[in-house]
Amino acid sequence: MKILSKDKVERVLDKLAESAEVFVPLSRANSSGFYSWKTRNPEKEQLMLETLNVYLSPKNVGFPQTEKMYSIIQSGTEAQIKETFEDSSPRIIFGLRACDARAIRCLDDVFLTRGYEDSFYKARRDNMVLIGQACYEPGPNCFCQAMGVDPLEPEVDIVIRDCGDKGYIWETKTPKGEELTTSISNLLEEKELKAPEAKAFQTQVDYEGVAEKLKGMFEHPIWEDLSSNCQNCGICTYVCPSCHCFDIQVKSWGEEGYRFRCWDSCMYGEYTAEAGGGNPRPTTKERFRNRFLHKLEFFSERYGYPLCTGCGRCIVACPTGINIVNIINEVKEASVDV
Amino acid sequence: MKEISKKVKEIASRLLSEGQVDVFLAWEKGNQDYLTRPLVVRSAEEAERIVFDEYSIHNLSNYLLKFRDGNEKVGLVVKGCDSRGVIRLLEDNQFSRDRLYIVGVCCPGMKDPLKAIKRNSGLLQNIPDDDKADKCSNCAYPNPLIYDELLGSEQEPNVKGERQAKIQEIENMSPDERYEFFRENFERCIRCYACRQACVACNCRVCIFDEMRPQWVGRENNETDNMMYHLVRAYHMAGRCVECGECERVCPVDIPLMLINSKLAKDANEFFGPYEAGIKYEEGSKPALSVYRLDDPDEGFM
Repeated sequence: MKILSKDKVERVLDKLAESAEVFVPLSRANSSGFYSWKTRNPEKEQLMLETLNVYLSPKNVGFPQTEKMYSIIQSGTEAQIKETFEDSSPRIIFGLRACDARAIRCLDDVFLTRGYEDSFYKARRDNMVLIGQACYEPGPNCFCQAMGVDPLEPEVDIVIRDCGDKGYIWETKTPKGEELTTSISNLLEEKELKAPEAKAFQTQVDYEGVAEKLKGMFEHPIWEDLSSNCQNCGICTYVCPSCHCFDIQVKSWGEEGYRFRCWDSCMYGEYTAEAGGGNPRPTTKERFRNRFLHKLEFFSERYGYPLCTGCGRCIVACPTGINIVNIINEVKEASVDV
Repeated sequence: MKEISKKVKEIASRLLSEGQVDVFLAWEKGNQDYLTRPLVVRSAEEAERIVFDEYSIHNLSNYLLKFRDGNEKVGLVVKGCDSRGVIRLLEDNQFSRDRLYIVGVCCPGMKDPLKAIKRNSGLLQNIPDDDKADKCSNCAYPNPLIYDELLGSEQEPNVKGERQAKIQEIENMSPDERYEFFRENFERCIRCYACRQACVACNCRVCIFDEMRPQWVGRENNETDNMMYHLVRAYHMAGRCVECGECERVCPVDIPLMLINSKLAKDANEFFGPYEAGIKYEEGSKPALSVYRLDDPDEGFM
């Protein structure tokens, strides 16, 4: 089997960065996320391959928080598109975990299937290679397995498996991965290593039947109670690797301008504000309910699997301690005859 | 602390069963030692869930905004900083005093549950295991300034002075250096608006950042729009921020928002003071910069 020894990781990243933008898990300014390897400040920022994961997901690589779409020029009553900013430059995400890889599959399904291909997402995604890292030791807030994700088999082009000091097992899974492996094969070794034993999950939750049960719970009093301490910020939606709502807006000056899209959050009142002044989700309860129904019911109905990948980030980030695992448990236990 | 927790539970239970309040705001325990979270209680039975412990850090006065429309009487627990939030809402006419039953707790300083969960998450490095939350190291008012019932023994202020020293350092920077300092910090902003949502002084019914026609602040996550968001919010905080520190505590990307708010509080005091926001409730009194007079000596304010 192919092995990447740990002292060669940086060389591999340097090599890959010659022909693509390589996003790696890095600590940065008291936080952490996937950042371009070329922008790393080695004095301040560490590669975080041996921690559980990073705080900000790799969602922004294929789906940036702000993405310029096209510029416009106005002449009289007509507007013309001056330039379109589809960005197909090659990108690699290195070291993403199975939960985040599943989240990218969610985005793929949303942006590329069911009759419409989003050309901006497609341009970025077509030239993207995913190098995933298998997880053998779930963290205190991890529950990916319960959401149908196999932490040992991320859905990616290449999987690396951390065997301690001896290095990473390097497993190529797809033709895209094959091409990348060939380009750095001189940095890999041929050796036999045994992958570590997977440890048990600390967080247990049973999602079985939840999507089905939620169908009859839209008006259930549980939402009032569960949402009562939500402060309606957008942290959960922005740290979430799979939340993908966006808004399209325009900036213009004189006869020029551009359209862009930017992440939006169903937690905001403005998200459902209507032109006539109405709002079908006027309070926290309706917004909160929508978010969890989308995660646990609506997406499952459309795509056959949930939109929550069990990464646990929202649990860590919520300022008021709202925990999606508790919500699943409460839904399970709720009586539906009320 | 256990004694206080027991008393809070008793008070809530009494107020709810006697019908003195319809709702009581306190805390309950989550599934970790360090997880204490806000709780909205509506019956004496539910009051059994109430706890008050060293992680009861959230400013519950912010939750009053959920009840401002309507006639429900609301009971709540406030620490010193939170009580200033209640005064903020009373001064802003967001609540009438007779709808409130305020249980004050003299606060010895809290620990931050968010820091604790982050430290144990495996997602972040080098999060110190501080004895007290950052905001509690800048506490000038540990004892409630408005209450109907007071628990615990009076506490000494705990102002370590680090924040003030940092403000001084920024004041001494050149304009370019200062710009760079804030640019670097605001660059990280993900525009989740958690700072606004956790803020009791942010009680506008329609926030300027949500207005669409006209749209005052762009939605792009870039230097210009992020800077615009934070500067506009800062101006709105001048003379209004009660320095509870919740904005900075909840920020998911660690932006030092209290450096801005405390600087503005300092300026409000120097220019229009002596003044500190929300330290004394007098019916009809208004925060500095909230008074409009036809004979204002400065035309700019007319």
